Amino acid sequence: MFAAWRKRWRWSLAAVLLAVGMLVPFDWFLGQYTHLGIMIGLFTMVVVGLCLLMGYTGQVSLGHAAFYGVGMYVSAILSTRYEVNPWLAMLVAALLTAAMALALGPIFRLRGNYLALATLAVGFIIWKVAELQSSYTGGPDGMTGVPYLSVGGFEFDSSFRRYYLIWGFCLAILLISQNIVNSRTGRALRAIHGSEAAAESLGINVSRFKIKIFVLSAVYASLAGSLFAHHAIHVSPGSFHPLVSIDLVVMAVVGGLASIWGALFGTGTMHILNDEILIHYGKWNMVISGLILIIILIFTPQGLFVALKEAYLRDGVWFLPKWFQGKWRDASSWVLLRRERWRGHVGADGGVRDP
Amino acid sequence: MSEVVLELKGVSRAFGGLLAVDGVDLEIERGRITAIIGPNGAGKTTLFNLITGVYRPTAGDIRFQGKSIGSLSPDARAKRGIVRTFQHVYLFGNMSVLENVMTGVHPRSSYGFLEAALRLPKARREEEEIHLRAMKYLNMVGLGAQAQQNALSLPLGQQKLLAIARALATDPVLILLDEPGAGLNRLEKAELSDLIRRIRELGITVVLVEHDMPLVMGLAEWVIVLDAGKKIAEGPPAEVQKDRKVIAAYLGEEEEGGP
Repeated sequence: MFAAWRKRWRWSLAAVLLAVGMLVPFDWFLGQYTHLGIMIGLFTMVVVGLCLLMGYTGQVSLGHAAFYGVGMYVSAILSTRYEVNPWLAMLVAALLTAAMALALGPIFRLRGNYLALATLAVGFIIWKVAELQSSYTGGPDGMTGVPYLSVGGFEFDSSFRRYYLIWGFCLAILLISQNIVNSRTGRALRAIHGSEAAAESLGINVSRFKIKIFVLSAVYASLAGSLFAHHAIHVSPGSFHPLVSIDLVVMAVVGGLASIWGALFGTGTMHILNDEILIHYGKWNMVISGLILIIILIFTPQGLFVALKEAYLRDGVWFLPKWFQGKWRDASSWVLLRRERWRGHVGADGGVRDP
Repeated sequence: MSEVVLELKGVSRAFGGLLAVDGVDLEIERGRITAIIGPNGAGKTTLFNLITGVYRPTAGDIRFQGKSIGSLSPDARAKRGIVRTFQHVYLFGNMSVLENVMTGVHPRSSYGFLEAALRLPKARREEEEIHLRAMKYLNMVGLGAQAQQNALSLPLGQQKLLAIARALATDPVLILLDEPGAGLNRLEKAELSDLIRRIRELGITVVLVEHDMPLVMGLAEWVIVLDAGKKIAEGPPAEVQKDRKVIAAYLGEEEEGGP
């Protein structure tokens, strides 16, 4: 009975979050957070793809912002310079990104650090190309006048409307990804992460699955990029600078790499932290953000969302105070141990010595 | 009467200048438990890797059910019915016990990304079947009660049984077990022998590499002995045990009149 109640509690939490989320763009509620909400939605789409690729399949990508950039620019160029319907532009951008990711497939022969470096290089190359091909992309200044998306006569010309559009896409991608993870395909991906040799021995075509999930995550990023172009109207290479790729990985790690809803949580946490809270600390914001990140990684290496979820499943509704108490205990015993070690009462092996 | 399911003809594999497997001919008969033994470094695991496709032979031909498979990838061979377990178990630590076995059903199911993403009827139907099949094999190795645990939370003995269940879930023709008894206690070894006999009763051909001689001699119906990459003897266990070359390989090279 308790379990059923907990499950119901989870659904009611989801309902409350959804209700609050729906209200965000209303001026009489939190109107000023519409832009923040849109950016969280867009980045969540990219981060979910990264979670599938990194957390579930175990393949690193430090260049994912590039696909966001491709989606953004292809959408912008087609719909502005060639007056293609924005929806069609978005579709073409997604297909082109998929083709690019497919062509990049051979880099998945690399593993671990080498793969990380190769994907980082991909990010740099695509970013630099966008900056250099200024006759198409407008160079470092970017280009402006990208049309809004519209359905029939209904144009998404206010951020209020685009908020719902973008979150519609985002939720669809979250659900699709959740379905994939808990399927035959998802098990194959996780198997590759667990042991490539064993996955292969069970009839799983390892390289094919790696490339497929890479393509899918690139398409997610491309869609987010296109939506951004048709939302912001102005695009420039700055929005997919290679450093953005690193931010994306940070968001994925903070939420929990091997967790779909963690992507949403991590993206939300990092955006709220950086854009709403730390922005008031002036030049020190990066430093504080970095320190917070280190603390999160030390105390919840599996990700904040995953840690909180586990605590909730273990301790029920009042998990938060218990969780903080536990973490506080861990931290203080760590400090105590250091102190005793420093005083010489505890050896390097953790054994107690005679005072 | 007897039918050969796997045949190796003059198979060699060189690593640099070293011939790890040197012109091995062997035939595995359908429905029999065959053991491959030999001192350390004899090439037993390399032979497994050649049969399952991890390595390609540098010379010779491997035929499975009458067809040459020497150039196929490991996953293609698994689809044709050759499956293996590993010395180091290699369970998927990011999954539950049940999910590990469900992963084994991969080559015997077919729905893909799209069906999974949209949860189409085909996906649901197959998923139900996959679940049933996985539970069947979990129960067969006696791990039904641990289905929801994390795979790596099991003790080593049960981890090895889980790896076997996972391999069986691929519905193989031939199963290769790489040192299934290593690290097990006497009771667990008895259970393992019993399980291997039950696998044979399913009509699956079993080949095992094993160091534990009592286990091999009690279980195998045919024993193949490798030494330094070459096959030096084969036959029923009782005969192989008496073979002078085998004794020499295990105890040291003193064939022609000792000191």
